[in-house]
Amino acid sequence: MDLATIIGLSLSLILVVGGIVAGGEAAAFVNLPSMLITIGGTMGAVIMANPMDRIKKLGKITRIAFFSQTPDLVSLVQTIVSFAEKARREGLLALEADASELDDEFLAKSIQLVVDGTDPELVKAILDTEISVLEERHASNKGMFDTMGELFPAFGMLGTLIGLIAMLRNLDDPGSLGPGMAVALITTFYGSFMANIFALPTSAKLAARSSEETVVRELMVEGVLAIQAGENPRIVEEKLKVFLPPEQRKELEERHDNEKGGEE
Amino acid sequence: MIEVTRLNGSVFVLNADLIETVEANPDTVVTLLNGHRYVVKETPGEIMERAAAYRAKRGLPPSLT
Repeated sequence: MDLATIIGLSLSLILVVGGIVAGGEAAAFVNLPSMLITIGGTMGAVIMANPMDRIKKLGKITRIAFFSQTPDLVSLVQTIVSFAEKARREGLLALEADASELDDEFLAKSIQLVVDGTDPELVKAILDTEISVLEERHASNKGMFDTMGELFPAFGMLGTLIGLIAMLRNLDDPGSLGPGMAVALITTFYGSFMANIFALPTSAKLAARSSEETVVRELMVEGVLAIQAGENPRIVEEKLKVFLPPEQRKELEERHDNEKGGEE
Repeated sequence: MIEVTRLNGSVFVLNADLIETVEANPDTVVTLLNGHRYVVKETPGEIMERAAAYRAKRGLPPSLT
């Protein structure tokens, strides 16, 4: 569960909807045809703008923004350092069994490459390519929400034009002008509501998740290459610590002290 | 040139004149003068023997120094 997404979304929904209700006339903001024009139109255009298999993943991608967790870098560093220790004691081949037990496919694959005796340069090249493809895939997934963010206000505008045209045809009835204008403007409201409360924040969250994942992958590559070079586990740890923000470095050291305390 | 074995069992031939260091940690890592590293199955002792044998075959002293 990504608390920030949930809290942010509920906060803006409660405040905006609360503001509408507090202003009285909440019923004036509900208009089914306007919703259909804005949401339906945008969805249609997004489907048109993307390949079919990406559209099928839309639900899954939205879930990432709502449910994914910040990766636990400290545990990851500890896992890699423990691998480095094992490789140091029993040789690289001893890692094969551990690699197959890993949940993370990327780390398992990179260790498998090392165990197979692949050249370090080749290992680095393969893993770097994998990271850049991953980044590209994330960017195109995020692109769907960027498109949505652009299209929602655009379809809102379109709905307003439709409303205005309908209104202008009935100019001979001055009494209907006000309500007609209000209905016409509702679509612009829906458009900017959906763009700013849903599409754009989701896109920003996906970008943040993507860069987090890239850091995790880069950390893994660095670690695996250090293990392959047969570096001292302490050195491996120092190398990987660079990727951690200061608080997490402290946490790592604390966990170390605890372990040492347990052994003594 | 000496024959060495990768961890996955494939055999390749290494230019013994380019060896800079051989270390066991505990896998044997051969570092060449150009910075390339190879992880091999042989022990450092075996590598030294083979390198010396190869140089002897060419009528050279056992090492560069």
